[in-house]
Amino acid sequence: MEKNENAPVPEGYVPHPRVYYYPGCSLMSTARDLGESLFQMARLVGSWLEELKDWNCCGASPAHSVNQNYAILLAGRNLVLAERQGIKDLFVICPSCFVRLRTAAKTLMADEDKNALLEEAVGKRYQGSVRLRFFLEVGSASQMNVFRQAVVNPLKGLKGVLYFGCLLTRPEWITGFDVLPYEDELRSFVESMGVETLDWGYGKQCCGAHLALTKPDHVDSLVDRIRDHARRVGANCMISFCPLCQVNMELRGKNSEPLPVFYVSELIGMACRLPRTEKWIRKHLVDPRKLLAEHNLL
Amino acid sequence: MQVDRSFIREVEERSGQRFGACFHCMACSGGCPVSDIMDYLPNQIVRMMQLGMRREVLESRAIWVCVGCYSCVSQCPNRVHIPYMMDALRELALEEGVKIGEPDIWTFHREFLKQVDKRGRVYELEFMARYKLATLSLFNDMGSGMKMLFNGRLELLPHRVKKLQEIRKIREVCYGKK
Ligand code: SF4
Ligand code: SF4
Repeated sequence: MEKNENAPVPEGYVPHPRVYYYPGCSLMSTARDLGESLFQMARLVGSWLEELKDWNCCGASPAHSVNQNYAILLAGRNLVLAERQGIKDLFVICPSCFVRLRTAAKTLMADEDKNALLEEAVGKRYQGSVRLRFFLEVGSASQMNVFRQAVVNPLKGLKGVLYFGCLLTRPEWITGFDVLPYEDELRSFVESMGVETLDWGYGKQCCGAHLALTKPDHVDSLVDRIRDHARRVGANCMISFCPLCQVNMELRGKNSEPLPVFYVSELIGMACRLPRTEKWIRKHLVDPRKLLAEHNLL
Repeated sequence: MQVDRSFIREVEERSGQRFGACFHCMACSGGCPVSDIMDYLPNQIVRMMQLGMRREVLESRAIWVCVGCYSCVSQCPNRVHIPYMMDALRELALEEGVKIGEPDIWTFHREFLKQVDKRGRVYELEFMARYKLATLSLFNDMGSGMKMLFNGRLELLPHRVKKLQEIRKIREVCYGKK
């Protein structure tokens, strides 16, 4: 059927309102603020977020660290579930889960033996039909515009550095992002929420990830260095994309003064004055309310 | 020291990497965020494998300290995938029952995977408690855990996967029946 370019499109219309997502273990706990702001964000564009049914942990770092097959099969089960549930696009919230699922999808398609192993465990091979996408990719140009138009409280006064962390864009042949344009897009998006973004050189430095528990001293020094640089370029907040980075940045570090670390979805929530903003703002480990009050943003 | 010529082939096989491509430019090591606490740098591990130093590599701390951040891969001019190499090396170390270079990190992984095995998902509260019990680091860091708890950032009740038998089966085909 030909597309009718002249057909009236209601403002905020989203062609595929049902968005299936893989939450990952942290979304409902340590990253609950991310989760809640995300639901609000989705509601704004009129999409319906639906969880992948019966999803399991992707295995995170521990699985691939000690048993590569286990990592592929744990992540692989989620892919099979998605196929069984007829899901074409599966949005993944956490960058680390994203890399695990992507890696599994690639490996399973390339390695017959591993796919056979998966079949032995869950009764079905992965056919390769699921498109894995990072949740911020929800923002097709038109949807991002919906957010832009909904801004009623531009976050003037927030000066932030974009902190991508390790895995959001790396390595490109796994994430599939065309990195530079993607980074630019995220930056311009953050800016359209009224936040001033600053240049710095530490956007992809590792936060120390799970060593926060096993090697806290080392992670303190990593975080100190990153945060110190954020402060030096004049940032009063950081913008993070990964639940683990966010917690490490707010919780760790000894010698640099903590900064509030926001998720992009939280910025949207505040800038568009979405309901219940106050609720997840309070969950921060570094209370951002002082900063927000200073600039009359609450 | 025992020289083991077959070692590097084994690791190549498991990790899908060709270490002959490495020319020891050290780009991987230079950008590694945890090189400070490694006993050998990533490219030194490659070199040691080339020299057949099996035991030294498998008992190293470096292989456990690597967090898989992929900084090294992005920087390697030859796309040697160091984190895949590290995965393969830890796997071998466990299989061969050598002395583990960083027992606490291994405990961390093990307790995490026990959670996965039990429910298919990770219940962070129990996971942290068990890790702390196992490593006897009970009172370090209580403050931050409590802070997360009071801020409502730790789940109070565990969730589990419905078809747990599939998770068990996955474990079985990967680890063999217990
Ligand atoms: S960056 Fe690549 S080529 Fe250079 S030393 Fe490391 S593994 Fe070898
Ligand atoms: S993946 Fe491992 S070896 Fe490579 S830079 Fe990161 S921590 Fe270092």
